Amino acid sequence: MGSTAPTLNRLRQSLAGIDPSLKPALPGCGREVGLDPAIDAALGGGLSCGALHEVAPSGPGYLGAASGFALALASIASGQRREVLWIGTDYAGTEGGRPYGPGLDLFGVASAKLVVLRVPKPVDALWAMEEALRCRALSCVIAELTGEGTVADLTATRRLSLAAREGASARTSGFGLLIRHNATAVPSAAATRWSIAPALSRPDAYGGLGRVRFDLSLRKNRCGPVGRWIIEWDHHEHIFLPALPVGVAQAVVDRSGRAPLVQTG
Amino acid sequence: MWLRRLSTDRVERHSSKPVETFVVVASVQSAQRIVALTDGAARLGLKAGMGLADARAMYPKLPVVEADPEADRQLLEGIADWCDCYTPLIGLDPPDGLLLDVTGCAHLFGGETALARDLVRRLAQQGLRARAAVADTVGCAWGLARYGKQGIVPAGESKAAMLSLPIAGLRVDAGIVADLKTSGLTCVADLMSRPRAPFAARFGRELLFRLDQALGHIDEPISPRQPLPAAMAEQRFADPIAREADVLGTIEKLASQLVTVLDRRGEGGRLFQVALFRADGAVHRLELGTGSPLRDPPRIRKLFEERLAVLGDACDPGFGYDTVRLSALVTERTDPMQTGLGGDDHAEELAHLIDRLGARFGLRRVTRIVPQDTHIPEYAVAAVPAHAVRTATTPLPFIEQDTLAPAQPLRLFERPQPIDVTAEVPDGPPVQFQWRRTKYRVIHAEGPERVAMEWWRDDRGSELTRDYFRVESFQGARMWLYREGLYGREVARPHWYLHGLFA
Repeated sequence: MGSTAPTLNRLRQSLAGIDPSLKPALPGCGREVGLDPAIDAALGGGLSCGALHEVAPSGPGYLGAASGFALALASIASGQRREVLWIGTDYAGTEGGRPYGPGLDLFGVASAKLVVLRVPKPVDALWAMEEALRCRALSCVIAELTGEGTVADLTATRRLSLAAREGASARTSGFGLLIRHNATAVPSAAATRWSIAPALSRPDAYGGLGRVRFDLSLRKNRCGPVGRWIIEWDHHEHIFLPALPVGVAQAVVDRSGRAPLVQTG
Repeated sequence: MWLRRLSTDRVERHSSKPVETFVVVASVQSAQRIVALTDGAARLGLKAGMGLADARAMYPKLPVVEADPEADRQLLEGIADWCDCYTPLIGLDPPDGLLLDVTGCAHLFGGETALARDLVRRLAQQGLRARAAVADTVGCAWGLARYGKQGIVPAGESKAAMLSLPIAGLRVDAGIVADLKTSGLTCVADLMSRPRAPFAARFGRELLFRLDQALGHIDEPISPRQPLPAAMAEQRFADPIAREADVLGTIEKLASQLVTVLDRRGEGGRLFQVALFRADGAVHRLELGTGSPLRDPPRIRKLFEERLAVLGDACDPGFGYDTVRLSALVTERTDPMQTGLGGDDHAEELAHLIDRLGARFGLRRVTRIVPQDTHIPEYAVAAVPAHAVRTATTPLPFIEQDTLAPAQPLRLFERPQPIDVTAEVPDGPPVQFQWRRTKYRVIHAEGPERVAMEWWRDDRGSELTRDYFRVESFQGARMWLYREGLYGREVARPHWYLHGLFA
């Protein structure tokens, strides 16, 4: 069993030599967290494990949506046995609330599989995250920082990315999610940076609240184009569903590396 | 062991220029009396218990220092901590004595005589005058240290050694000693040569009780200051070590010795302590607990590395440590486990991560969510230290729901946030609200979900009913609001709070 992963990786590498669009997101990591076919295409197969990803709400009051998106990713990434670690500073807890067990269970993250660490200072959160990313028993490590989280600068995020890559092996992942309470322009070494806003849901047949909708803006992508999508989270099935696209122009991207469109019919 | 000049030694250690002769005074029964004095003062004919006025009449220029019993006690405890490098079983004997149980330890220092001599010599180097005596019983050693000539009494000869001691050496009241003296009885031999009954009738139980203790007829346990470790290992250095890497290396080496002992018993350690004995007598103790029985030296080292990193300056090596001791205070049975062929032992790896985080931040900060039997949202789950929850907790009772949106929030505020709400009276859903200076207009609201407080816990009946609403704003943000109090029935004007955030 153990020898298949290197073989797969080698095959992927040689495929990437033939077709650049098949290049794996980061070298040495074969696993990805899939969201939705359209988004996965932009990400080159899905959010890569063994990497650090940043999530921030796009406006005040959207922290719930940003946490929800991170937890939805954690729910997809976590297998049957492995657990999720949530790291938050004391201040982040009072500022944005603490993860709430019954809500997590309903949302699709088993609270019995969640370990919560409260740390006194933001620097401690980074230290703990780096330590935890190397632990193979965790499927996902989420850390949250209040404000723009400026302690997580280029150096710190590079350290975290390296730890994540180190923690990733064939059957495990060093999947790190960093939640900043406010969007920031601080440079970072994370593989992707997401800006999350909630989107108006479509009410159910009786006028009640519909499925959770996220308005995702991929602001930074190290190995592909950026973009904006609206997707829904199905908390029964633990999958993302596509929602209507937003009527805005997509960001300009260089598509020269893509395969040309083929006319049909 | 008797520190015969504890108070004056303490003062002398801290004074810049040596003073041969001075006394320490305190108010005893509304008079200033001498409670301690130096050897020099004793030679002048002064005695403890003498009034300060009398002493001043004899020597008008006698220097005087105020007594500080608290500082004396602290010094005594410091010395007791340091004596830990001779034996783990140490009892305090205030105001100026220490009881050391050296059974089974003496041979490590080359016998009882060598141990006592070493102890006295090393204390003398630090400016503390001590007299040590070794005997079969606490009472005998106590008497010999203070009144005896002979330091070491071989096993079984304590009775003979006691005979020549004065009665005061039996730890009895000064009143009894004085009474016996008037009867012409001055030493223990006088007591033992006479029938016991009259003494009991005249002086009560105490005298004979103390005599029996000293002779070993009645057992007298020493109550140790520190818990006795289940197993320990220690390393001494001729040259003190100060570098952190050296200390950690020593800890790992000691851990492998300790683990050998634990392995033989089929146990693993749950609570470890490292005692670092600094060359100048200070002792640093680092304790750490683990989530599961541990017997892996590199992991033990790693945990202490975290702990040392946090302590930083609080654990200043100064001139270096000359003894390092690792003890397992609490152990637990653990059966050897067959490791899987795959080599992926997730549970163990996670346990180790939790221990490491706990060593760094405190075990209370690493928690798991454990459901509680209540429907009040803020009490519905408790954060229990993860090391106390052995396996993954029992899953929360699954709330069957067929709604498209989860009924409970993802994040909950510990203190509900007060908000300004526009809502229909008496019990309509919110239409608009303001939180943290941002206005939200509500487009969808679901509710109310009524949560009545638990009357069986609410003695004063002051808790108000809550009506929870799930609301979605025009931007799509979802929040959990509640109205506290029923309009008109419980309160005239209910307050609104924001309690949680949905995705």
